[in-house]
Amino acid sequence: MALASPISALVPTRILDRSEVARDVILLGVEAPGLVERVRPGHFAMALLPGGQAAGVALGIYEARGERCSLLFFLAGDRTRRLGALRVGDRLDLVAPLGNGFDCEGAERDVAIVAGGVGIASVLLPAQALLARGARVRLFYGARTAERLVEAERFAAEGCELLLATDDGSRGYNGVVTELLAREDAAEAILACGPTPMLRAVSAYAQERNIPAQLSLEEAFGCGVGGCWGCVVPIVRTSAQAPSFPPSDADGSDVVHARVCVEGPVFRAHELRW
Amino acid sequence: MVELSKFDLSARIGSLVLPYPTVALSGCYGSGAEFAPYVDLSRLGAVVLKSVTRRPRMGNPTPRIVHTPAGMLNAIGLQNPGIEWYLQHDVAKFAQTPCATIGSVAGFSVDDYAYVCERLAARNEIAAIELNISCPNVAHEGETFACDPELTARVVRAARATTDKPLIAKLSPNVTDIATIARSAVAAGADALAVVNTVRGMAIDIYQRKPRLGNVTGGLSGAAIRPIALLAVYEVARAVSVPIVGQGGIETASDALEFILAGASAVGVGHANCADPRAPRGILDGIVEYMTQQNVRRLRDLVGAANTGFANINQIEGDEG
Repeated sequence: MALASPISALVPTRILDRSEVARDVILLGVEAPGLVERVRPGHFAMALLPGGQAAGVALGIYEARGERCSLLFFLAGDRTRRLGALRVGDRLDLVAPLGNGFDCEGAERDVAIVAGGVGIASVLLPAQALLARGARVRLFYGARTAERLVEAERFAAEGCELLLATDDGSRGYNGVVTELLAREDAAEAILACGPTPMLRAVSAYAQERNIPAQLSLEEAFGCGVGGCWGCVVPIVRTSAQAPSFPPSDADGSDVVHARVCVEGPVFRAHELRW
Repeated sequence: MVELSKFDLSARIGSLVLPYPTVALSGCYGSGAEFAPYVDLSRLGAVVLKSVTRRPRMGNPTPRIVHTPAGMLNAIGLQNPGIEWYLQHDVAKFAQTPCATIGSVAGFSVDDYAYVCERLAARNEIAAIELNISCPNVAHEGETFACDPELTARVVRAARATTDKPLIAKLSPNVTDIATIARSAVAAGADALAVVNTVRGMAIDIYQRKPRLGNVTGGLSGAAIRPIALLAVYEVARAVSVPIVGQGGIETASDALEFILAGASAVGVGHANCADPRAPRGILDGIVEYMTQQNVRRLRDLVGAANTGFANINQIEGDEG
């Protein structure tokens, strides 16, 4: 696991391009010189809403190349709608890059990436890194409907094998993506990002088969930079990601709360106690 | 860039004089170091550290944060390593913080407060102590103190006996008459009051048909509580004559100025740091712009200016000095 904290900064950016890749799904490209070289697979950014007033939005960094990074997000509430209302040329300040990111330097040659919904935004950079070192990458990608399987073709074009699932059967396997994962040949390693129920199922699957799995967690953030302890997850005290913290009386001494924003968002499945 | 040096922006909290009136609030700002990559901490009046208790606390189950239309609910539950660990591992680092660091003490008994206050106040890195007698997120005990004038007095008196450093009692808005609590805290020896902590609230997931916070209830911060907090400051400022650190949904300079005009000597910024880490600096610059426009050189001349009958202790002390 890439454990070293990135050198993050407050990065003023400008919107270069904006597209609605599906209904209520926005891809924003931003010009961010100096940021791209610091971004590793699985890093995220806090996007500060213009005018403040509401907490920043934590978004996986989708693409990072040249002087352009992009953010892919669903219009799900007030805050994402304010972000989605930005236009080309507008300013957008990011606190980035944040988090530990995925470890893509392992020796595994056959890797499964499991993505659910907006989790797809955090797995393009790891897919590219794995493909670049010659690994076979299968993308298990689930969404509610075919229309919501955004950017699937992009992953195919990069060289991923696509295994798709939809809740309504409108494309690919009719059911949840973790069922599809269990029906296929096991990979040597798993990277996953998506809603918590999906991650729990991936975790159970991987631990039954003793497959190393890295999970990028979704949790509501307060500050996003480690100051508020709002976004925690229980992990084993023996984890290299466990913050230095004494055992407490009321709770077991083998578990400690780690911050998803700083110690994570990527955790090893077998170290979580959620 | 606004020229700060032409103005007297200082704010007094007991014997502690802050160069700027802007304070980063407890629980939102870690130790300050978490925000150092993004802001110049030397332009803050002070950082109020995360609350520490006698014993380590793992805190509440998740989710601990829910964003609501005009603010944020939190129920962290005082996760902290306990005073012994804190003194051994954490406090020495605060010497590096380029602004005053104010310790925050929480507890479940009068004795807890006195014990932790004494240990923490003894350290040079700590400029003052805030008594968090109003945390809404720990079963019942935490907030009980600030909801009862006698319990408030007992905590403040016990803490007062342990230290000469400035003591700030952090009051709860979840009371019938905050002025009564304020008088009680001051009579027991509080040098200043933090007004107010979060407002109790909750949110429900209509599809899962259950509360959205792991702790069920939480504390609401942000713009939603600003008028509530402002009225609390106004009422407390008429009841007592110690400095007030006004707080609750302050996001902009005009918000901050409302609190100052109501009687706050300093202003706390909490949730707004989640929206933009530069919020406290923006507030400071905006206050100076206002002072420039209004031809005011000393910030303390504005304290309580919209609150008739307000006893402005800062102004009196300033005039004597």
